[in-house]
Amino acid sequence: MATEVIAVSCGVGACQETLRTALAIGADRAVLIETDVELQPLAVAKLLNALMAKEGAGLAILGKQAIDDDANQTGQMLAALAGLPQATFASKIEIADGKAAVIREVDGGLEKVTMTLPAVVTTDLRLNEPRYVTLPNIMKAKKKPMETLKPADLGVDVTPRLKTLKVSEPAGRKAGVKVADVAALIDKLKNEAKVI
Amino acid sequence: MAALVLAEHDNASLKPSTLNAVTAAVQTGGEVAILVAGHNCGAVAAAAAQIAGVARVLVADAPQLADQLVENVAAQVVACAGGFTHLLAPSTAHGKNVMPRVAALLDVAQLSDIITVESADTFTRPIYAGNAIATVQSGDAVKVITVRTTGFDAAAATGGSAQVQPVDAIADSGKSVFMGREIAKNDRPELTAAKVVVSGGRGMGSAENFKILEPLADKLGAAMGASRAAVDAGYAPNDWQVGQTGKIVAPQLYVALGISGAIQHLAGMKDSKVIVAINKDAEAPIFGVADYGLVADLFQAVPELAAGL
Repeated sequence: MATEVIAVSCGVGACQETLRTALAIGADRAVLIETDVELQPLAVAKLLNALMAKEGAGLAILGKQAIDDDANQTGQMLAALAGLPQATFASKIEIADGKAAVIREVDGGLEKVTMTLPAVVTTDLRLNEPRYVTLPNIMKAKKKPMETLKPADLGVDVTPRLKTLKVSEPAGRKAGVKVADVAALIDKLKNEAKVI
Repeated sequence: MAALVLAEHDNASLKPSTLNAVTAAVQTGGEVAILVAGHNCGAVAAAAAQIAGVARVLVADAPQLADQLVENVAAQVVACAGGFTHLLAPSTAHGKNVMPRVAALLDVAQLSDIITVESADTFTRPIYAGNAIATVQSGDAVKVITVRTTGFDAAAATGGSAQVQPVDAIADSGKSVFMGREIAKNDRPELTAAKVVVSGGRGMGSAENFKILEPLADKLGAAMGASRAAVDAGYAPNDWQVGQTGKIVAPQLYVALGISGAIQHLAGMKDSKVIVAINKDAEAPIFGVADYGLVADLFQAVPELAAGL
């Protein structure tokens, strides 16, 4: 299995807190690639690609999508840039004999692929339960090494490619009516909404 | 300008999500072509050629494309990308897997989950679980896009007469092997394409209890869905999950049963035409988006509803 786990974050200085949590959960050391530039998925993938090469990493594990921009791109892009196979939306990973066997969550069910390592995996919700962070481990995490790099140290241009012209509120949806019972509900669906 | 749409298929039939992506492609303003990458997929190519608005169908037919391995499919898209300004795929598990890889190989950004085409280089897409809509402009020469199927009407499946052109298949990457697929077989419509969806949440209480939704789903000809809470609890399979990290649906009728209505769930269903919620908690947020709400014990109300239809 892995000889070392490196936790990586790309972004502003405050990401150090997140990395400390990763160290408390069990990562051996951390790398922050620090920048104030708005990082888009292609830029993050380029940073991770450069770091993966520098560290000689055998497996990159990423979340499948960020909860803010919901892009769902970075892992796939990293795999492409590094020329590696990818298994997205993983719900089970088995490593043996230089290969990763991954069960993927796909539309309608599951799919199993086997990849030659090194490789990239993105996780689905059901992959595992993260460990709880305990106080002794928080104390230990404070002593673990955390390195800070700049994108320029890795020779990566992180200039955004997409421009956000505006952000607006979606058309709202108003609450409808409460019905008294099932009979009233059926009546509304048949005669008012006309959907059944 | 010209757009290439990656067909979603299983070598036997074209998936309906492709039709929504074609509509988005047509709106980008140029000629539209479809790429069918697969093996023994002639029937899919023939179906693609029938789609209204499609000028050409490119067919890459080879064993290494049979199982849609992403390394090979992405390389095939890149090999066929010359001359196209827009590369699109439906925002399905497959499209989301392939298109970012394509974009990175071309050193361009990818636009995820677009819901409108504003112009050839400007699109809108939901962010923050659909609580905001971003208008995004791409400065890249090629726009690589995944299309949220609920944002675009399906193109007509017939009426077109596109020219079918075989193209050379790329070589196998040799880096991954397809081992198998377990796709749940049932007679219900596909969740993202269904006209009616019956969804259960944590309030269902157990996997066993989910069965009480079946007679209702049968009566309505509905697909079955679930909230993340229900899936996490093991009440329903993962591929039933509707929401931010699951499937996005917009049926004519969405029936939410025992679902509280967390924003992550609303992100996956709030564009449904009519929403019905049954929940014993009168304060549940789901009632804030439901057209018709019924405060009741779903274990009594659901069988009564099924019987009354």
